[in-house]
Amino acid sequence: MALDLKQIRSEFPILQRKLPNGKQLVYFDNAATSQKPRCVISAMSNYYEQYNSNAHRANHTLADEATTALETARENIANFFGTSPNQLIYTSGATEAINLVAFSWARENLRRDDIVVLTEMEHHADIVPWQQLSKEIGIEVRYVPINTETFKLDMEAFSIAIQDSSLVCVVHTSNVLGVRNPIEKIIKLSHSAGAKVLLDCAQSAPHEKINFDGLGADFIAVSAHKMAGPTGIGCLLVKKEIMIQMTPFMTGGSMIKTVTTEGSTFQDGHALFETGTPRIAEAIGWGAAVEWLNQFEMKEIHSHIHKISSWTSIEMKKIPGIIIYGDPERSDSSGAISFLHESIQSLDLALLLDEGGFAVRTGHHCAQPLMDALSIPSTNRASFWIYNTMEEAKLFIKHLKYIVERFA
Amino acid sequence: MIRINDENMWSSNLISIIEEFQDCFDSMERYELLFDYAKNHPSPLPIEDWNEGNKITGCQSRAHVSCNVDDEGNFILMGGADAQIVQGLMAITAIAVNGMTPMSVTKMTPKYAEEMGIHSSLTPSRANGFLNMFRRVQEEAKKLMK
Repeated sequence: MALDLKQIRSEFPILQRKLPNGKQLVYFDNAATSQKPRCVISAMSNYYEQYNSNAHRANHTLADEATTALETARENIANFFGTSPNQLIYTSGATEAINLVAFSWARENLRRDDIVVLTEMEHHADIVPWQQLSKEIGIEVRYVPINTETFKLDMEAFSIAIQDSSLVCVVHTSNVLGVRNPIEKIIKLSHSAGAKVLLDCAQSAPHEKINFDGLGADFIAVSAHKMAGPTGIGCLLVKKEIMIQMTPFMTGGSMIKTVTTEGSTFQDGHALFETGTPRIAEAIGWGAAVEWLNQFEMKEIHSHIHKISSWTSIEMKKIPGIIIYGDPERSDSSGAISFLHESIQSLDLALLLDEGGFAVRTGHHCAQPLMDALSIPSTNRASFWIYNTMEEAKLFIKHLKYIVERFA
Repeated sequence: MIRINDENMWSSNLISIIEEFQDCFDSMERYELLFDYAKNHPSPLPIEDWNEGNKITGCQSRAHVSCNVDDEGNFILMGGADAQIVQGLMAITAIAVNGMTPMSVTKMTPKYAEEMGIHSSLTPSRANGFLNMFRRVQEEAKKLMK
């Protein structure tokens, strides 16, 4: 069934706005963050207007309502990701989720010379924590290269790199290339080699159904704000048997059972890692986002995005001087189109697109090792989501052609 | 000695450029003119002299400035960027400040980009470097006053 785009767009107030230069906004920066439907905004403001209170603490009505809403959101989000709420630790986003693995699991369970495998297409969030840990405890970090012609991971090199490794950290879908990695195979091979697997699903969660229990990864990191939820919240999904191997890296309120002047005893499960006042409004907003997404099949959303992105990619290739990095026409691509023009610098191109009302991302996309592998400093990136339309894509192509004709 | 407007410390050269931009039909024509300035005033700072010391931080393009005074104490800005919009703004800034005293440079306002209608260059969070470049030029001018 086709998506009712008119109805969907009407639920996103921001899509109606005009830019200061009078141009209608066309939002193609969804891989950076998605826009939020009215129900998410309302759920958050309703919390502040009607039952703002601290969760897990008092016995009054408001506190009970806040606690119930926070935990109901956890249930709904966990259910969306095919797992139990006990496996979900709220974090500020995927970055904190990966840092939590580094601080709370890896620091406790890895020793000097243990091997952590990354790929060249990781986001900095999945590189820097491991480099830091390497400095601290002497783990070895290995990088699996990509094939710069197919933009896919070199799986032969991957099979070699994971030998004797303890942890494999892979981005499910590249934020730059839109390439979906063969994660099912990656999990199987890594487990056979005796390694745990951490998947960065920040980009894939808005595009396909992620089933944590079904996939069998040991850790999954997610950000809410790329899937219609608010900024400032995400989660780490952790297998039950792995969570008990983790120790808290942040201590204080909420995560304790008892505190005396002699010492403290701690909570079990996710509570052990959610120190301090929780992100209550954000969790409620994310819960509303997941509920909103539940009315669609993720396959429907992906198919809609793919139709727009593959058409846009084909049309972009017809424009003289445009170079595309990745393969947005592949059916499993997230549809992010990273591109450059051979004579118009990426920053100039982004500003000229902005002048036409088109919001695209420019820069290294927090993936400098990938930029190095591709021998480029930056790209422009157009990325689409559920509310984008073919009409917008056509306007984008028209404006891009105009820029190239006038400025190249 | 160049003529300077007291309010903004803008030279007559700069005021002519602002008027040239204000005569443009629309924003794309203004950008075209800015590209022309970049093309006609390529970086006087050779790329081999672009280094960490003269790099402008917070800019998504590569941008570098080098500031000095001549024998008569007049300010000289030499700068280069790989993005044409930044190079164009840098060229115009050089036309504006070169020949001024360093003290006049420190008193100048950066609102000429706004007056020229280059709206996308105005906020620091744009990370396109114009305001960072302007501040850097003023910092260098302050040092040259000593």
